[in-house]
Amino acid sequence: VTRPLLGESVVIDDVGPARRGRVYPAAGAAGLLLLPAVVLLGALIAWPVVRIVYASVTDPAGGFVGLDNFRAALDAPGTAAVVGRTLLWALVVPVVVTGLGLLLATTSRRTPRGRLIRFIVIAPIALPLVVTGVAYRIMYDPDPGRGTVSALLAWMVGAESTPLLLGPRLITYSLMSAFVWAWVGLAFIVLRTALATVPHDLADAVRAYGGTPADVFRDARWRPLLRRTVAVVFVLVALGTVRTFDLILVMAPGSVLDESSVLAVRVFQTSGATTTGPGAALGVLWLVAVALGVAGAALGSRQVWPPPSGPDQPGPVAGQGWRAVLRRSVPVAVAVVWLGPLVVLVATSLHRPRDTATRPWWAATPSLDSYSEVFRRDLLGSLVFTAALATVVTLVVLVIALCAAYPFASMSGPGAQVAGALALAGAVVPIQVIAGPVNEVLGQARVAGTAVGVALVHIALGLPFAVMVLRNAFADVPVERLRRARLAGRGELVVVWHLARATVPAVVAVAALEFVQVWNDLVVGLLFSGPDKPLGLFLYGQSRQFVASSGVLAAGSVVVSVLPVLVLVLARRQVIAGLISGTLR
Amino acid sequence: VTVRRRTLLRASLAAPVAAATVPLLTAGCAAERVTQVAVVWSDTELALFEAVIAAYQRERRRRVEVISVGNNIDGFLRSRHRAGTSPDVAILSSPGNVLSYLDPAGEALIEPMRPDIRRRYARDWNELLTGRDGELYGAWVKAAHKSLLWYRRDRLGRPPGTWAELLDLVRERATPAGPAPLAVGAADGWVLTDWLENLIAAHTSPDQYKQFATDLAAGGSWNQPAVVASLTMLAELWGVPYALPGGGSRALLTQFDESVIQVAADPPRALMAVEGDFAASVIRDFGPVAAVPFPAATDRRPLLVGGDAAVVLAGADPAAHDLVDWLTRPDSFGPWMRPGEFGYPGTRGGYLSPLAEVGPAEYGDDFSRQRAAELASTTDLRFDLTDRLSGFAGGGDGVGSWKVLQDFFAEVTTPGADGPAAVARAVAALDRRGDR
Repeated sequence: VTRPLLGESVVIDDVGPARRGRVYPAAGAAGLLLLPAVVLLGALIAWPVVRIVYASVTDPAGGFVGLDNFRAALDAPGTAAVVGRTLLWALVVPVVVTGLGLLLATTSRRTPRGRLIRFIVIAPIALPLVVTGVAYRIMYDPDPGRGTVSALLAWMVGAESTPLLLGPRLITYSLMSAFVWAWVGLAFIVLRTALATVPHDLADAVRAYGGTPADVFRDARWRPLLRRTVAVVFVLVALGTVRTFDLILVMAPGSVLDESSVLAVRVFQTSGATTTGPGAALGVLWLVAVALGVAGAALGSRQVWPPPSGPDQPGPVAGQGWRAVLRRSVPVAVAVVWLGPLVVLVATSLHRPRDTATRPWWAATPSLDSYSEVFRRDLLGSLVFTAALATVVTLVVLVIALCAAYPFASMSGPGAQVAGALALAGAVVPIQVIAGPVNEVLGQARVAGTAVGVALVHIALGLPFAVMVLRNAFADVPVERLRRARLAGRGELVVVWHLARATVPAVVAVAALEFVQVWNDLVVGLLFSGPDKPLGLFLYGQSRQFVASSGVLAAGSVVVSVLPVLVLVLARRQVIAGLISGTLR
Repeated sequence: VTVRRRTLLRASLAAPVAAATVPLLTAGCAAERVTQVAVVWSDTELALFEAVIAAYQRERRRRVEVISVGNNIDGFLRSRHRAGTSPDVAILSSPGNVLSYLDPAGEALIEPMRPDIRRRYARDWNELLTGRDGELYGAWVKAAHKSLLWYRRDRLGRPPGTWAELLDLVRERATPAGPAPLAVGAADGWVLTDWLENLIAAHTSPDQYKQFATDLAAGGSWNQPAVVASLTMLAELWGVPYALPGGGSRALLTQFDESVIQVAADPPRALMAVEGDFAASVIRDFGPVAAVPFPAATDRRPLLVGGDAAVVLAGADPAAHDLVDWLTRPDSFGPWMRPGEFGYPGTRGGYLSPLAEVGPAEYGDDFSRQRAAELASTTDLRFDLTDRLSGFAGGGDGVGSWKVLQDFFAEVTTPGADGPAAVARAVAALDRRGDR
């Protein structure tokens, strides 16, 4: 019996100009290659979403209750404030992040000093948000004898009138400042890459016609390219504000949790890892909002991105007068401010735990006691477990995504668009919303509360983005190469393998991002993990007694941050290209 | 040949995935052959419990795996139950949770204890873990003493013995210059509920207290004279100007550990704090701090306790009962009672045995001996109220009774606050019970 397991029949269209979509695998093979991704995404994302929508209009016994759950969720005290705060995050933070990123992108220069500044601004992207939370909570500690920023404020306005940065009135802005710190690097790097692809003769032409710098910016930069990129970055950051969850859990003391709460936290408080009607109703509202955001992103990014190729163009030429001074001083000023949290974190980690609890880091004798203490609390066990988890997840995601991306890349027409939209949607479903059903599925598979269950959730969450990036990479493979691979290969997997080598930059990007994602995770560990503690959960556990443990937390944070920063620095070129290819097309 | 090569290639693609997945899978399977114990402890407490378990493994020649689950042990047990991979034994800190595993609607998550366990405890302790069917569903393995006032020995001549003395002392020492007389870790809601519960206990007889807890669990009202009287006393004390370092809004950002440090650090920011015996683990690194019983608010001197109980999960290995039997023997927790003898010098256990037979002399340090003596001699033992409840009344960060008391705290520490109005609002809020 000869059943083509991974069908050999290939259709090669030799007529007409070489274009993508002309060479595609047979339907059966395509189906098989897509199968693992479809099964995983179907079971752990699509089905849970359906289940949540169903749960939002039924009671626990399954009876239809109409909009009762929505009413109950919206009537719960404080819901209006929570929804409002979530919207505030999704609107204000992207404006600040994109604006700062654009400012930096237009003023940064390609000098050795510029490179150092870039590193300082970009490094926070690589840090787990839990670590960002730890650094900012240490800086914002209300006691001027410990909190660096509180001490500065006390020195400026007097101890009596020092505002409580973590108090109910300011907590949201404090959290936002930490988030902006962590995300500006991303906006900066994407916008900078975009600017580098704007042809310089365009600007010269505008200048030649007597255009002012404002005209140059508008006609040579903003109109041809930046407007759309800015829109995409804005939506990207707006969707990213879901992650403020990690920050809130680490930075907000229990008494101000309500004053800082956003939908992510509220859904988590309402349902945890179970399915409840009101929790589901909130989740559905949230999903609708996210879907609208994604639709905006899809509309705003309908443009073929010029592939970042060739040597980088020289940066903007420094002029004279106050503009030049500004251009030179803005990046330096930002870098100095951005360095602050890193300095405070490292300085705090270099003191004994009892010193960090009672005096400021600039007034105590350095010591490595906090490091030995954090390892005594089994940081090593968490490091080993998380490294194994992140490695396994990365490998599995790569293999499954490569298999799925290849047939996906050759699809065309409405099918491709629907699949693309689904992948995009899968990439942005907040896990807090579907945690209950996901746990039910894992329970059915008998892996709930185990390392395998956690790994499966990570894989499902990482797949959509990986598929999108790799699909674009496959689509960019020159058709000649595709043809050669196909003629030489004997089965679809061989072709995938050949092409995988042609898409190494994208594979590196996916691997690096996926590894860092799992390494830096808190929420998946919090919702699904069993006895083994991933790093995010380890740090979060220590933060329950924040002041007594701040030295230990700082030391743990420093140790945890080394690897993701290293990975992203080593793979930065591929990651930037991959991010642009994956998010902007 | 073609087929073979293809198979080979496919295998070579699958191999890294398989190789990487195998350790994770086998980790899951291998664990089933030993007795698994899920606990909430971490750090020092976990290390001491593992020392306890090590002795069991030597003595009974069985293998036990301790898994530290963290605070969400409830979610862990439920999801493991659904997955059919429940551990054999779990140690929980809330009797309310234990009884919630006997939900009449679903199948029970836990099994009854063997009959001889009951004899090892005083009746009050067993009652908390007895199901409606009269069976005992848990065995206490650790007690926590929650009626303590910690104070600076070097700054206070004599610690207050009664509530009136406490109030006088706070008023006397409350000056803008500081140190403030009181530290309250109001950022952690349970610190405030512990204050309230100590006072409610003082305002009720043991039977009334028990009845009140039962009523609350069944949805009864908080609007009781004892609750109103207790909240009124708290409003009066917390409302004294300059009673707290940095005032009320600052105290609301002070977690339990920081409030202890405010008293223990040099120079101190505050002179007294009301916290359970577990504060000892924070204090050990710091200054001259001692503890006395919670000031008497009425003629009664109730002793408020919390505790951890072992349960056997449904369908567990028979060895699970053997382990529980061993854990509830008087000499099993030696490493935790006398850490110094077992290779943990400088560690103060913070462990009290709930067993009737364990006397104060068994402990390795004076502080523990003193608390054990109080526990053994008390005639008025009360169990933590909110630990017996679940959901809204049980509280949580930003949720339920914790949040209500934090709002109350914020209100009464504001200068010029209207105490009685705040009390009325708090009682109403406790009775409103949101869905959260």
